[in-house]
Formats: sequence, structure tokens, C-alpha cells
Amino acid sequence: MTVLKTEGLTKIYGSGQSEVTALDNANLKVEQGEFAAIIGTSGSGKSTLLHMLGGLDRPTSGKVFVDGKEIFTLKDEALTIFRRRKIGFVFQSFNLVPTLNVYENIVFPIQLDGSEPDEAFVKEVIDALGIGKMTSRLPNQLSGGQQQRVAIARALAAKPAIILADEPTGNLDSKTSQDVLSLLKVTGKKFSQTIVMITHNEAIAQMADRIIRIEDGHITIGGENND
Amino acid sequence: MTKVKNGKVIRKLAARELGKNKKLNVVVILSIVLTCLLFTTLATIGGSLMNGMQEETMRQVGARSMMGFKEALPEDYELLSTAKGIKNLSYNVMVGEGYNSEFKEISLEIRYAGSDQAAKDMFSYPTEGRLPEKENEIAMSDIALRTLGFEPKLGQEIHLVINTDGKITEHDLTLCGWWQGDPINLAQQSWVSPELGKKIAPLRKKGDDSVGVCGYMAVNFDFESSYDIEGQAAELISSLYEKEDLGRMAKQTGINWAYVGSSVDSGFVVAGSAFVLLIFFAGYLIIYNIFYINTSANIRSYGLLKTIGTTSRQLKRMVRIQACIYCLVGIPLGLVTGVLAGKGLMGFIMNTMNVVSRDSYSVSGRLLCMICLFAALFTFLTVMISCRKPCRMAGAVSPIEALRYNETDISTKKTDKKTGRITPLAVARNNMSRSRKKTVVVVLSLTLSIVLVNTMFTLLGGIDQDKYIADSIVGDINITHDDRGDNWNELTKGITPDIIDRFSSIEGCEVHPAYYEAGMVRDDGAHTEKVQGLLDKYGSTDEDTAVILEASVKDKSHSSNIYGIDEEILSCIEPSAGSIDLEKFRNGRYAIVSTYLYCADDENSVQIYQPGDKITVDYADKGAREYEVLAVAPMPYPISVKAYNFFQTDIIVPEEEYFAADDEPAAVSLMINTDDNDGSAAEQCSAVCDEDGSPLIYKDKADYLKEFEDLLNMVKMVGGTLSGILALIGILNFVNAVVTGILSRKRELAMMNAVGMTSSQQKAMLRWEGACYAVLTAVCSAVLAALVSLLAVKGLGEGLFFFRYHFTLLPLICCIPVLLALSAAIPSVAYKFICRESVVERLRENG
Repeated sequence: MTVLKTEGLTKIYGSGQSEVTALDNANLKVEQGEFAAIIGTSGSGKSTLLHMLGGLDRPTSGKVFVDGKEIFTLKDEALTIFRRRKIGFVFQSFNLVPTLNVYENIVFPIQLDGSEPDEAFVKEVIDALGIGKMTSRLPNQLSGGQQQRVAIARALAAKPAIILADEPTGNLDSKTSQDVLSLLKVTGKKFSQTIVMITHNEAIAQMADRIIRIEDGHITIGGENND
Repeated sequence: MTKVKNGKVIRKLAARELGKNKKLNVVVILSIVLTCLLFTTLATIGGSLMNGMQEETMRQVGARSMMGFKEALPEDYELLSTAKGIKNLSYNVMVGEGYNSEFKEISLEIRYAGSDQAAKDMFSYPTEGRLPEKENEIAMSDIALRTLGFEPKLGQEIHLVINTDGKITEHDLTLCGWWQGDPINLAQQSWVSPELGKKIAPLRKKGDDSVGVCGYMAVNFDFESSYDIEGQAAELISSLYEKEDLGRMAKQTGINWAYVGSSVDSGFVVAGSAFVLLIFFAGYLIIYNIFYINTSANIRSYGLLKTIGTTSRQLKRMVRIQACIYCLVGIPLGLVTGVLAGKGLMGFIMNTMNVVSRDSYSVSGRLLCMICLFAALFTFLTVMISCRKPCRMAGAVSPIEALRYNETDISTKKTDKKTGRITPLAVARNNMSRSRKKTVVVVLSLTLSIVLVNTMFTLLGGIDQDKYIADSIVGDINITHDDRGDNWNELTKGITPDIIDRFSSIEGCEVHPAYYEAGMVRDDGAHTEKVQGLLDKYGSTDEDTAVILEASVKDKSHSSNIYGIDEEILSCIEPSAGSIDLEKFRNGRYAIVSTYLYCADDENSVQIYQPGDKITVDYADKGAREYEVLAVAPMPYPISVKAYNFFQTDIIVPEEEYFAADDEPAAVSLMINTDDNDGSAAEQCSAVCDEDGSPLIYKDKADYLKEFEDLLNMVKMVGGTLSGILALIGILNFVNAVVTGILSRKRELAMMNAVGMTSSQQKAMLRWEGACYAVLTAVCSAVLAALVSLLAVKGLGEGLFFFRYHFTLLPLICCIPVLLALSAAIPSVAYKFICRESVVERLRENG
């Protein structure tokens, strides 16, 4: 089942002489439970693509379907609500809310939705990520690796259709990067999550089930799963 | 050790850092301008008032010099001209006083001057023409000229009668100069030539002890400084004179009151200092907060600078240099606006105070410089003190912590946080505790202005119109007799039946005469003991009072003012003991009584008669009558005889009873009530009093209402301006805290949006944050305003006769909706502003 699909996704910044095409007619499909890595050099358009996929930025043209829903038909407010229900984010700089403790950060999107978190599931996620002993700590009391594990837990807790990870190991040392990536992959499999991760690191990309290569705004390899 | 020349690069860095956030610069400069404006306004008003009061005292004294010898001889003048440490030495000689029949209301002093300086010292230097040189010339103030019936015109022929210590001479003189006389001064000046002066009043010689003041030199001079003039004077005399002359000189030494320290009211100093502290605190709150926010926002760049080798001292210097640059822009702006505002308010205050000599209250160039210096210094001090903590913060930053800094105080937030449900309100509450200091400062700043508004309204609300007016007027119009003639009988019985009839015949006028005669009270044994008690208590405070009290004890009687009044006037009397029973008062066997003792400050403590006591009154012609004391209350001042003995008792009886004792129905005063709306009855009454030669004095309630309105307006204007500026500071602080709080969390808000917090949820969260400020402010203001009201305003009001204290927090309650509206509006606007950037743009920022 296709969880994520794009059709002719194009993003142009600026106009006239300063016009830059960050993404050019990108077509992409990601299936349920897949772990895909988008790889590209700096400025290749991979972050732009991820932002479009997550509905954080609107494309100049083209469509994005998440769980069968064309997300850019939604207005901003509805798109945000859709995002908290269907998309989990893991950022390079963790982006935890500094005034909320670990547990509150994890259930933050769920409680914003007015729902009660599935306690058992959240506990399972927390245990799987090995952060059970630090649930009442504040983010600034945690190491970078611990903070990123909390961010992964937050992404998983809402049981989204897809998790989008933007250079999740960019701020971590290599040992911690390995740990965090393994956890991301293992927990993704465990909870049957679809993960799309962007990275510029070839070795990290190799951990994914599929590699999508992007160059100068064009998807050159792996846009559609041909397995 | 080699001194590193890094000043230039630090200054450059400081200036560049400033350029980074232009909006913040505007807020910092605005806050410095406001602080400086407040200091300057206060200094301008305070300076003008102090200067004006000193100048006014000088005018009343009639001299500008610090010191003078009143009855000096030429050898004294010679001696002084050789003395060191004195300047502006001058002399004038008293020739006599004007004895023309016109000089009754004002007196005219005739002198000759040793130099121009002598005339200038006495505020009597001709502005038109010059001082007399020829024998037949005279210079005179315009007031004296007008009293003689002349318009000021050079060349005017004047016939002057001069009384020189009893010797009367007459002279025909020509006006060679005049100036604007000072209405404050009842003694007007005139100058004749030394030639004429010496003829009329030859200079006194040593040993001439004949009675009088003419022929003596009045020598005036200044010391180098006005510090401890009394000490300097004593030192000067002892250095110049031998032992035998010391007594003579000490006796005639006059120090200008205007320079005596006690002339500055201590209440004035306390109020001024309190305002300085208040402004200092308000300024500190906002400037500190802005620097704190600014430093927090820049902490990453400070960390970076430290990483690449900038020392703590250099970082601190950077913040200080930035503060100086802000001051350089803010202080001049504040000074200009402050002086303008101060002058504007001063004009308003003078209008209200009915200041006659407005020139005294003007701000001279020297005073202006001092005001600007004071305000600039205090503002600079406020800024420097405010940025001390942020300086330390910038200096103490560690590069690693700086990178992780997100406004939550890392060093103090080591404890775990209890888990709670996430709602916009809960997140807002958490956000409030991020920077407690910032919250406290903003809340305090807002609280300050609200407390001031509440205090001002409590003061305004407490000013009681009736109480204010009751001391000046009873009823609508009061008519009294002019006492200039010093004729006791005319004064007390000057309003004859004819005059009363004239007023009664005016349509719309209801006339109520108050009748008066002086009498004696016979003290029985018990009351004589009470008088003896007063003698024991107050005898030592005033010699004259003691003599009178002793005589009263000995004679078992003392003087009394007997008034006969009707029921309308009776209704204006407020007893301090007993109550007014109309039936009893009517039957003539009862009296309202009040005792007055010159040297007692508390009138209740001297009341020797209490309700129920018997009192025997000796009428001048009609003999003794006994009354029972019905209540204790004095005759309402505006219609009383307004003349006091050292010790006396007011006896108020019904007019029918008074007539039984005194058949001449001439009144001391009239209380008139009018029922006309167009004021024509009042106009007619006024016209009767304005008739040529009329000895009647007219007082209208409307004039006092106007005066009262002016007083209210002054309090409103001054208090309103001050609380307005403080409110502006409070709001600015609030806006600044909220806006910078939102701007600095731009990325965090974008992240929250990315993980699913909708715009409306974010707005609600930010509004809740604003509401938290509002609620905290409301609670703090209520507590503080109540304390200030009960502890300060109540005490202050008790000292004002026209004040009736009412506790109120209504103004504060009225401020709360405004506060709530602001707390909802400002975050919404700021949020809208940051939403102009997309979530992605905000997420990319390395804030």
C-alpha cells in the first residue's frame, strides 16, 4: 500500500533573475512499512522535498498524497491538524519543547489533538528507545543522543502514517549516530512505521531499505519502488 | 605588563552588535527617553518651585542679598568694603516714608541708593528711566505711582509728603524712573537723589541713638557661597569688630530668609526624593529588562566571541559601551521633551496656585543647565545600574552553555518536572516560569503605574468640595466689612440695617445676617480649674498667652465673641461634641460654644465647656445671661469676626435671643443664598460691594468652586501625566517582554507548529501567557494599592483639611479589562508578525 506519493512536485524560490528551482517535477512513492533514505549533496533539494512531504512548505506545483489524502488541498489550520495525526517529525536539532519534560514532549502532539495517549503503546515506545528512566527530565538535562531518542519517541507515539526524519544524526557523534539510527530502524520495524529520512551521508543512507537520490532538484534514482 | 590596545575593536564590535536589532534599539532608546523625560520633568518642576519660592521669599523680604546690616554707620560700610570673602556690597539710606493721604493701604519707603547695585538688590531698579541724580528727581514703583493717582510716565510731577521719623516735609519732584512694583510687597519703594536724601535725613554718626530708622545705612552683601550663612556671618562680625561692638552688630544683622535652610519645606524634599526613587525604579525595571532580554538574545554570539578569545571583561565592556551609545541618543531627546513637559506642567501649576510673580518661577539658563545635568546624571546612573546584571551575564557566559541557551535558566533548572496534561494554558504557564526575573520585572513595572493611578484617584476622590469650600465660604455668597479702617465698631457693626435691606431687596437673594458683639464669659469654679489646666499645659509655650490665661484665672472670666444667628446659618455649623437640637436652640436658653487658645494646635484639646455645662455670658450693655451648652462648635470662619484674642470663647445664640440683649440690628457679616440660575442676583450683590467707597467685601461660592476645580485639575494634570508616563513605561515593558519572548521563540513556535500545534492553539497559548501577566499584575497591584492607600494616602489626607479618605480599588478594577485587552492583543499582533515567515524559514533560523 502506498503511504506517500508525489506527482510532479516542483518548488521555485524567487522570481526573475533570482529564480531558483529547488525541486523540479519530483515523483516519488513510498510504501507502507518502508524505510527510505533520500540522499543528496548540500543544496540538492532534499530538505525542500522533505518539507513538502511533511506539509511544512507549499509547492509551486504538484501534489503530495499522504495516506491517500492530497495534503495541499487542506488549509493551514487543517494541514497542521493532519500533520499531527498522520506525520511524525524527527529534526536534526531535536526540537523538543524546553519547558516540557520527556514524557510531555512525547505525548505533546497527541494531547494537542485533545486525545488521550495510548499509555501502553507510549510505554512500549519509551522502553524500546531506552528512555524509561528519564521521563520526568527536562530536555536540557539530556544528552544529544537522549534528546534525539525522545524526538523519535514523539514521532512514533502518535502512530502516524509516516515519519519524516531530517538529518536525524546531524548533531550527533558517530557512535551516538549509529545507536540512534539503529533505534530508528528497529522501532520503525517493530511498530510497522514508514520512515523517510534525508541525509547527505552515504554510509547512513545504506542502513535504509531504499535509497532515493536527488541532484539539483531532480530525483535521479529510486523515486519509485521497483522491488 | 603590556597594555593591549583593544579598545577600538571592542567599540567597533559593540556598535556592530547594536545594528543587528533595530527594533530593540528603538525600544531601549524610547525607555531611556521616558526615564530621562520623567527625571527632567520632575527636576524642572522641583527646580522651578524651589527657585520660585526662594525668589518669592526674597521679594517678600525685599532684598536679593544674602545678608545685611540694617542700621549701619558709614564706618561699618568702610570696614566691610575691606573685608574678604564678601561680594556685591552696596548700601542704601532710609529717608522716610510717604505720608500722602493715599498711602493707607500700602506704604511707601523713600530711600537713596549708594549705587545701582543697591536698587537692583531690592528689586527696585528702574526699567524705564534711571535712578535720581538731581535733587528734584524721584524714581518710584508703578504701584506707588498708581496709588498716588498717576500713570507711570517719565517727567511726571509728583508732590510727595515725607515723614522722616516724625518730621514732615513736602517736596515737588519729577519722575526720572519707574519699574513694575511687586504686588507681593506691601511696602513699595522709591528713590530720591543722595543730595536730597542727605538733606532730609543726614547720615547717622556713631553714638547717635535717637529713636527712628532714618539716616541709617542699610548695607547689603553676599558671601561667596550660600552654605551656612549664619556661621559665615558670625565669623565675619567677629573678625571685623572689637568686643564692644559685637552686641550692636549682632543685633542689626539680618540674614535673608530666602537663604535660610529651613525655608525649604521638609515635606517637599521627602516628596521630591520619593518621586526620584519612583522614577529611578520604573526606569530601572524597563531598562534592566530590555538589557536582560537583549543579552539573552545575544548570548549565542557572546558565547561565540568567547570561544574565539574575547575575555569576560571585554564582553562586559561591550555591553557597557552599547548602554553608553543608547544614552547618547536617548538622554538628549529625554532632556528636550522633559524640559518642555516640565515647563508646560509648571504653567498649569502656577495657574492653579494663582502665583502672582510668575517671573520668579521661570527657569533661568543656569538652573536649566543644572536640571539637565541632574536628569542626565540620574538617567545615566539608572542605565548603568540596570545593565550591571546583564553585563555580568554576558561576561559569565560559557561557550557551550551559550549554544544550548534557550531562556530557561540552565543552572537553576536541575530538578525534574512533574508530568501534567498539555493544554495551551499549561504550556503558557510553563513558559511564564522560564524566566522568572523577566516576569517579576514586567509585573512590577505594570503594577507601579496601576498603583499610581489608583493612588491618584484615591486622592482625587478624597478631595471634598464641601470641606474645601466650607473653610472659605458658607452659603452661596458672603458679605463682610472691610477691616482696613481698623475701626472695631465699623468692622463688627458695619453692615447696617440699610445695607441688609439693599441685599434683601435683590430678587432671588435670601439674606441671613450674623450679628456680633464682644463680651465676657464668667468662669465658675470648675471651669476656672480647666483654665488653670490650660495655663499649666500651654503657659510655657507663649508668654502673652500665659499672661492672658493668668488674668482669666485671677478674674474668673475671659473674653468672648457673641454671635446671633438664624436657622440657615445654624445648619452650616458642624459640632465636634453634642448635637444641634433645633427646638432647644430656638428657645434661647441654649448656646453653641467653642473655646480658642492662640498657642494650641489642637482645637479639641482646649474645649473647657462640654454639652450640658452652664455658661454665664456678660453682654457689654445688657448684663449677664446664663445658657446651657448645647454643642461645641466655632462660628463658621467665613462669616466670623476674623479677629482673635489670645484666649476666647465663641458663644452662638439664636438671633432673637441676641436682640433681646442687643437692640442694634447691625451685622458683622451676611450669608446670602441665591436661587437664580443666570447669576444675576450674584452680579447685583457684587455690584453693591463694588460701588465707590463701599467698605463691603464680596465672596462668591462660584469663585471658590473655580479654585477647587483648578486644584482638581492640577492634581489630575500632574498625577495624570506622571501615571501616564509610568503606564507607558509599564506597557512598553510588557510589549517588549511579550514581543521579544515571542520573537526569541520563533524557531520553537515553528517546531511546535511542525509537530502539530495549530496557529489558533499557539495564539491561545500566547494569549494565556499575556493573561498570566495581567492576572499577576492585578493581584500584585491590588495588594500594593491597598497598602499604599491605607498606609500612605490615608495619612497624607489626614493632614489636609479638605480631604475625606475613602478606600477604593475601583480605578484598579477599571484597569484590569484594559490590561486583559492588551494581554490578548499584543501577543496576537506579535504572532501575526512572525507568521509572515513560513514554518520552514523559521525552522531554518539559527536563533
